Amino acid sequence: MESSMYLPEASLDAWLAELASSHELIVPRREGDAIVFGPYDPSVSPDISRDATAPPKSSVFPACEEIMRYTSVKDTDDLSKTLVHMEEVMPSGSRVVFGARPCGTRGFTVYDRVFDAPAMHDPYYVARRQSTLFVTLACSEAGSACFCHWVGSGPADASGSDVLLVPVKGGWLAEGVSDKGRELLSSPLLTPGEKYAGEAKAAKAKAMESLDSAADLKPAPEALLAVFDDMEFWNRMSAKCISCGACTYLCPTCYCFNITDENKGMEGSRLRTWDNCMSFQFTLEASGHNPRPTKAHRLKNRVGHKFSYYPGLHGGAIACCGCGRCIKSCPAGVDIRQIVLAAMDRAKASRQGNTTGEHA
Amino acid sequence: MQPLEDLKAAIKEALPGLDFVIGWENGWNPLLATPLFMYSPEDVDKLTWGPFNVNNPATYLSGLKGKKIGVVVKGCDSRSVVQLLQEKLIRREDLTLFGMPCTGVVDATKIARKVGDLGMISGAKRTNGTLSVTTHEGSVDIPWEEAAADKCLSCQYPNAIISDHFKGDPLPPTLGRDPAAEQLAALEALAPAELFAHWKDAMDRCIRCYACRNACPMCVCRDHCIAQTRDPHWLSQDDTVKEKLMFQMIHSLHLAGRCTECGECQRACPVDIPILALRRKLNSVVKNLFDYQAGVDPSAVPPLFTFQVEEAKINERGW
Amino acid sequence: MSCSVNPYLPDMATVLETVQETPNIKTFRVRLDNPDRMAAFTFQPGQVGQLTSFGAGESTFVINSPPTRMDYLQFSVMRAGEVTSSLHGLKAGDKVGVRAPLGNHFPYESMKGKDVVFIGGGIGMAPLRTLLLFMLDNRKDYGSISLLYGARSPEDMAFRGELPEWLSRSDLNTVLTIDREAPGWEHRVGLIPNVLREMAPKAENCVAITCGPPIMIKFTLQALKELGFADDQIVTTLEKRMKCGVGLCGRCNIGGKYVCVDGPVFTYAQLKELPNEL
Repeated sequence: MESSMYLPEASLDAWLAELASSHELIVPRREGDAIVFGPYDPSVSPDISRDATAPPKSSVFPACEEIMRYTSVKDTDDLSKTLVHMEEVMPSGSRVVFGARPCGTRGFTVYDRVFDAPAMHDPYYVARRQSTLFVTLACSEAGSACFCHWVGSGPADASGSDVLLVPVKGGWLAEGVSDKGRELLSSPLLTPGEKYAGEAKAAKAKAMESLDSAADLKPAPEALLAVFDDMEFWNRMSAKCISCGACTYLCPTCYCFNITDENKGMEGSRLRTWDNCMSFQFTLEASGHNPRPTKAHRLKNRVGHKFSYYPGLHGGAIACCGCGRCIKSCPAGVDIRQIVLAAMDRAKASRQGNTTGEHA
Repeated sequence: MQPLEDLKAAIKEALPGLDFVIGWENGWNPLLATPLFMYSPEDVDKLTWGPFNVNNPATYLSGLKGKKIGVVVKGCDSRSVVQLLQEKLIRREDLTLFGMPCTGVVDATKIARKVGDLGMISGAKRTNGTLSVTTHEGSVDIPWEEAAADKCLSCQYPNAIISDHFKGDPLPPTLGRDPAAEQLAALEALAPAELFAHWKDAMDRCIRCYACRNACPMCVCRDHCIAQTRDPHWLSQDDTVKEKLMFQMIHSLHLAGRCTECGECQRACPVDIPILALRRKLNSVVKNLFDYQAGVDPSAVPPLFTFQVEEAKINERGW
Repeated sequence: MSCSVNPYLPDMATVLETVQETPNIKTFRVRLDNPDRMAAFTFQPGQVGQLTSFGAGESTFVINSPPTRMDYLQFSVMRAGEVTSSLHGLKAGDKVGVRAPLGNHFPYESMKGKDVVFIGGGIGMAPLRTLLLFMLDNRKDYGSISLLYGARSPEDMAFRGELPEWLSRSDLNTVLTIDREAPGWEHRVGLIPNVLREMAPKAENCVAITCGPPIMIKFTLQALKELGFADDQIVTTLEKRMKCGVGLCGRCNIGGKYVCVDGPVFTYAQLKELPNEL
């Protein structure tokens, strides 16, 4: 099979219908004024006019998932005792996610390093990840909140994807990235794409050119540790933050979660749900002590995790895909790029200040 | 703009006696200014005023107890300040209020309907009745009525209700349409099953980020909100529409007769759920029962902060 | 990983016995219901487990019985929040979930041949107990062993059933202290750091293991420094809010270190390397 096939725009709906016949198909859908990923509805075309408001993260890491069920029953041998039955709940089925942008799909590579690692194999995550294919749509043009190129990516990055669709005249060049992805391209609706290769290459280059020059984030991991105790800096950086969870819940690389038991009479479920490190209650201990008591502490942890602690643990990989959702959707206009740059400046200034001090 | 320069001068003069002053500066996008915390005269030079100053700075006030704060307010923002003062959640002596007449702010969601991705906007300018928005595809002229926040089209309070430093000539109320009232009327006209279907559909995409709550200047439980507590355990972590709508009901009820309809809850919603209608509905009930509007009279007692043995419009025994 | 294939799924276990240690501390002895799982269960002193009270959820507690005594796993629970309150309502025969062992352990191997001084305050005695009993069960491997255990009042002292034995052993120097005089109290009165100064353990070839409330730790560290203990001769355990216990959920990290997998045991030297967010 060819590794690149041409998908005419006119065949898109038919191809999606074909995918939907063998997989659960998840697509970006317009709901009100937002675009969110949801089940494919043959009567409504997916909205791929712009990057979706919410990323595709829930397809592999759901906002809420049941990890087990438990039922309490009276012990028939001794009615003073209660027995508990436990039942593991595992995800099943296979999915195709169509229409995410490279940044949203690449977010899963950040999860892979922690949920599917030698030290930790998260069975819920791995089950979904291995049974979910991503048909990703390369971007034609960068927006002003985009900074994928700062974090080692770009508008046609195929990491995490199985198929990458590159816009060409009248349709897309569908590039098979993985074996499973190439299988999806065996449909008769697609034709050999060789003659579009040059055009696709040019489209990728043009998209890359639409991005401003990237900031060098190499000093960020160390700089963020250097300013860790500088609470005046963090208070100012977080002053306008309202401590909501829009940034974390819309982030393709945020994976903080909660585990709670929810009872219904004699039975109940243990749920894993997205949680938000920007919330006061996230780290609040039963004693009343809170190691991250203010929004300044919490924003510091969020930025630190992405640009310092995670890279420190994972060979320099930044836990941010540069999609800019946290910037676009922040009700207060907090811009994570400015915070990272300011931390690097602050650390540099204080280092230079110290050096001067030593010489004096 | 002379009034803005006068305002900056007044802020610079007051700054030494204050911890900081909250206003707006240019944001990541030409359409969206962002809250500015001014600590130094250089910070004050960044202050902007105009149609992109959407955020309500009163949202920060209840979290800044004990500090001496300056706040630049639009008329609608000042209503939130007044209501917070009425409820004794902030102290007047801790506040220095700066104001200018406001001719309305944009609604980014409405503009996104016209131009698509807000990230592609490279310029925005208002000239009288038109908002010109520039993208890489060119320039789009949007009539102001179609770009402005609903609340601005029939704004009754374009000038700060209370202020210490007001620069510029006060403006008369705006006598335009009230699209939010039209939307509420349309919802009220629905049969219960249709109405429930509307909310079920809308709340389905809620991601439970609670931006609606945290953006609300009157939402003061903040770190201890029942949405996330286990004791009381009013809401489950199960992400059903029922739980999500339940939170909206709790939020709206807590705001009955307190909500100044600044619209921050709906604006903050990252997935654009039109939740302001719920607050408007409860406010209209309070208006009908008690003839009260939140945040317009610093000396008034909010109706749910007091009671009368015989309420004039609550029929308790006549049936 | 020695817990089940699914690291989130607890083992079903039965409470064998409970001991009301103090008005707010209750000890649970539990055994995994699956005999094979119980027989295969191994852990190292200092490792923790997540206890489930079904319906209330999970919380983290150190396994305070030593690995040398595997008839049951013992956890001591101070009542503070929802899960601990729910656990306090359990009695012998009730079911709990156990996810264990999790986290790192005390450096008992590198402590062989050294003197050891245990300094425990309140519920902080629980993690010390597992190592203390482990060392007593391997007594010849260690030099002199001292225990300084303090609580606010005699009623707040846990493990009271075991104290007479600890006090009477000739191979263990046990000192008990309470904050203020109380009728019938025959031991020391005074704050732990002050009593420690009076005990004056020799720092040379000695390791101090300390656990207790933050304020006690702060002043105990000062006293240990005065006594000449180097940062890597002081070992403590940290407590953080935890959910997953496997280094993912994002609550217990201090910078890049996750207390649930990289801890809870740290030397003071290691703690000083961490960002300041305790």
